[in-house]
Amino acid sequence: MRVGQWVVTTLAFALPGTMAFAQPAPAPDSSAYAALAKLPEIAGLWEMTFGGGPRAAPPEGPSFTPAYAAKLKSYQEAQARGEIQDSPAANCVPPGMPGVMTQPYPIDILVTPGKITIIAEAYAQWRQIFTDGRKHPDDPDLTYNGHSVGHWEGDTLVVDSVGFTTDTALGGFGMRHSDKMHIVERFKLAAPDKLEIQTSITDPDALTKPWNSTRVFARHREWTLAEYICQQNNRNFTTDDGKSGINLKYEAQK
Amino acid sequence: MSTQHSSAPGGRVWKQWATAVIGGLALAGVANAHHSFSVFDMTTEKTLEGDIVEFQWTNPHTWTWVSVKGADGKVTRWGLEGMSPNFLGRRGWSKNTFKPGDHVKMIIAPLKSGEPGGTLMRATLANGTEVVNFGRPPGGGPVLPPE
Repeated sequence: MRVGQWVVTTLAFALPGTMAFAQPAPAPDSSAYAALAKLPEIAGLWEMTFGGGPRAAPPEGPSFTPAYAAKLKSYQEAQARGEIQDSPAANCVPPGMPGVMTQPYPIDILVTPGKITIIAEAYAQWRQIFTDGRKHPDDPDLTYNGHSVGHWEGDTLVVDSVGFTTDTALGGFGMRHSDKMHIVERFKLAAPDKLEIQTSITDPDALTKPWNSTRVFARHREWTLAEYICQQNNRNFTTDDGKSGINLKYEAQK
Repeated sequence: MSTQHSSAPGGRVWKQWATAVIGGLALAGVANAHHSFSVFDMTTEKTLEGDIVEFQWTNPHTWTWVSVKGADGKVTRWGLEGMSPNFLGRRGWSKNTFKPGDHVKMIIAPLKSGEPGGTLMRATLANGTEVVNFGRPPGGGPVLPPE
């Protein structure tokens, strides 16, 4: 391809507003970095704590519309018949939102000018939350982790996310959502080393009322992120029709 | 530390715990980390004793391969899935927790299929140290994953 043709093609794709990847971000100056020091210290490595134990009251589940309650019922019946045994995660498909935030592995929150990045160790995923004042794209691409924008309300970071593929589950087994799912998360330090994330999920197709939950994360200054390559030695699998299995063929690690 | 498993809570207790925790997590919308336990019989605790062939410190699961001599003298290689290096490495384990040739006693939840495999619950090393991979150890101690 001639260089001129490449430039024309590239410019065509870079037209403002056409793609989520192409929104302009101003170069930060030193004051932008200095401003970060005044924010609550949500940056760092956190792991969700599992609350309550077996004697605790179970948290409230989502209230599904009849159509989505039927999807869940159908899934559970197929499970009871032994037809569905596992989720695509057994094949190393990452969870997407909201499940990416509730894995039994740490998240690392990075705060930089105009953007907050959450690295989820599980499946080596990330979320980027734009805090530079931009809006969601009018017609966002549908992705596992969605498109997120955030702003500070006092000491609370409010994150608004849309644009989710329906490939992912709402959370538990067989719970589905539509591409209209909308998630608002409120991040607040309850104590210097305790982060509370209140999550409110709405979905005009799937839910009859917002599904609200609060999760508590503990800070781990002593930890660092570890690599998580799910395909490294994955011996679990799910077939296309939901049957699960395990590969017991021994091979020495090279 | 030497441990006796004869006084361990039975499968019923484990099943109640597993049902409450795993079910509660599902209801809370907490995604299962990687896979369901559908291939394992989580109501049964089976004891295995043998020699480590290889301990694979890999994601998404550690795999412990162990040679077990049966009553008939026949040696079978078992494959045992465990929690990930990321999870265990933050809880006292390392890639050297089991070394080839180590003689270990293991408590596992076996595969429903009857194949020589399962998920590792806990193990007692030759020096008497007990290491917990998953579940509630008998007589107290840390529960993995944490409640």
